[in-house]
Amino acid sequence: MPTLEIENKVFEVDGDGFLSQPEIWNDEVASLIAKYDGIEEMSEKHWAIVKIIRRNYEEKGMAPMIRTICKETGIRLREIYELFPLGPARGACRVAGLPKPDGCV
Amino acid sequence: MEIITIEKKKKGLEVLSNKEDGKLQTHMNACVHCGLCANSCVYYNAMPEARFIPATKVELVSSIYRRYQTFSGKFFPSLVGARSLDDEAANEMVDLLFGACTLCGRCVTHCSIGVDISYVVKKGREMLSAMDMIPETLQSTIDAALESGNNMSIPKEEFVETLEWLEEDLQFEVNDDEAKIHLDEEGKDILYTLNPREPKFFPLSISAMAKVFHAAKESWTLSTKMYDITNYAYYSGNYKEAAVITQRLYDEVERLGAKSCVLAECGHGSRAFRWEGPNYLKKTYPFDVFTSVELLASYIREGRLKVDPAKITQKVSLHDPCNLARSGGIWKEQRYILNACVSDFVEMTPHGNDNICCGGGGGQLAMSEYNDRRMAIGKIKADQIKASGAEIIATPCHNCVDQLTQLNVTYKLGIKIMTLGEIVADAIVLENEESN
Repeated sequence: MPTLEIENKVFEVDGDGFLSQPEIWNDEVASLIAKYDGIEEMSEKHWAIVKIIRRNYEEKGMAPMIRTICKETGIRLREIYELFPLGPARGACRVAGLPKPDGCV
Repeated sequence: MEIITIEKKKKGLEVLSNKEDGKLQTHMNACVHCGLCANSCVYYNAMPEARFIPATKVELVSSIYRRYQTFSGKFFPSLVGARSLDDEAANEMVDLLFGACTLCGRCVTHCSIGVDISYVVKKGREMLSAMDMIPETLQSTIDAALESGNNMSIPKEEFVETLEWLEEDLQFEVNDDEAKIHLDEEGKDILYTLNPREPKFFPLSISAMAKVFHAAKESWTLSTKMYDITNYAYYSGNYKEAAVITQRLYDEVERLGAKSCVLAECGHGSRAFRWEGPNYLKKTYPFDVFTSVELLASYIREGRLKVDPAKITQKVSLHDPCNLARSGGIWKEQRYILNACVSDFVEMTPHGNDNICCGGGGGQLAMSEYNDRRMAIGKIKADQIKASGAEIIATPCHNCVDQLTQLNVTYKLGIKIMTLGEIVADAIVLENEESN
């Protein structure tokens, strides 16, 4: 099992760096993964996106549609891509502690 | 190491046993180990180990073929380098044929005698599929498609809500309340398809194509039942599953009575449906099938779209998806489109038929276990992009878009990645703009 070490904390992850155990996720883990991706400080907007994704995952077992993220947070689509340069899947969903979504992502 | 039962091995070997398959026999017996393929491979270039040379991958499959299908291999295996299909060989096949080949086919064009190396690798994958040894990470995307009708398991109502949301955007963008994203309409000229990642996470490309269709006054529709152009079973080598997915889209074109099926910007999906599909289904299509790249080029060529290259002034380069350019022969259209739509288009070196794979093909994006290798081979593309000096990379393939997005962050390229539809949409001069 590959691991990801960020600031002396070690997480079990898949090869793409998504948490192997999504249940260990918390705000600190989110901040650390974000930092690893070059997001030094999680802004309010980052948190809003991550929380919506996390909530949807806990309720429905999958990442929300980008439409839901935009509607619920009020953040424009293009801004989401700027906030998470790796995109909603490899970027935001990973920070939200989800397993890697299926498909071309 | 996975232990393989005798029953599984038997199933794997059956894939090689077709005596009437002339292509199989020719390509299993043809490699002369000249090694010219080595430098064409992104894996060998990024990690210069002998096992990554395409000829090694060919030898892995053909040595097993010789062992069971040739006289000398059956009776004097060591004399002809024939190899038994044992646990070690099968696990090596998984690692090299799934984990170290993007099926980009560049080695095929460089082969001194024309061995279809990708075909041999796919035969090996077909064996592994028969042996139930497809990497789980790849299979899960296929299962999602088979079970839900699209490879990201998007529920229908969420798909519809997304398109309604995009329709509002479209009306605002083109300043026309009548502009529509047509759903499930029968008897249209075009049934357009999507890669599920578009409605799920990256809908700008849907908006772009909707704007293009609006401006070109096209008769078109999307299906809410079967819109998924991807077919990951093409990657896995399970052609029964590939046929199921192909048949669904075929049935949907027929059900809606569309004259033609237009394929979204998706390399492997275009290949799987347009070029491999009739073989999976063992029948020809009674409707036309073409890629959106060809469609976009025809709109501009025929004057159905007015575009202004002054609208995009940044330096733009093009990444050719292997499945469209090298395998499908579609590489002039992209250039025609870009020359019409942007003011500063530069080529990468090499490009077109000899283009270098982004590293995300062959199912690599889905297989997390090979992420490190994928990033290592992608460095070659990243270096090519840097050398081009481009600010925007256009590519007509969502799979490539995703790999390039990850390369962009990993190698700090600072580029913007766009589909061709997005480029064209930005360059369009709308009728109501002209009159202003």
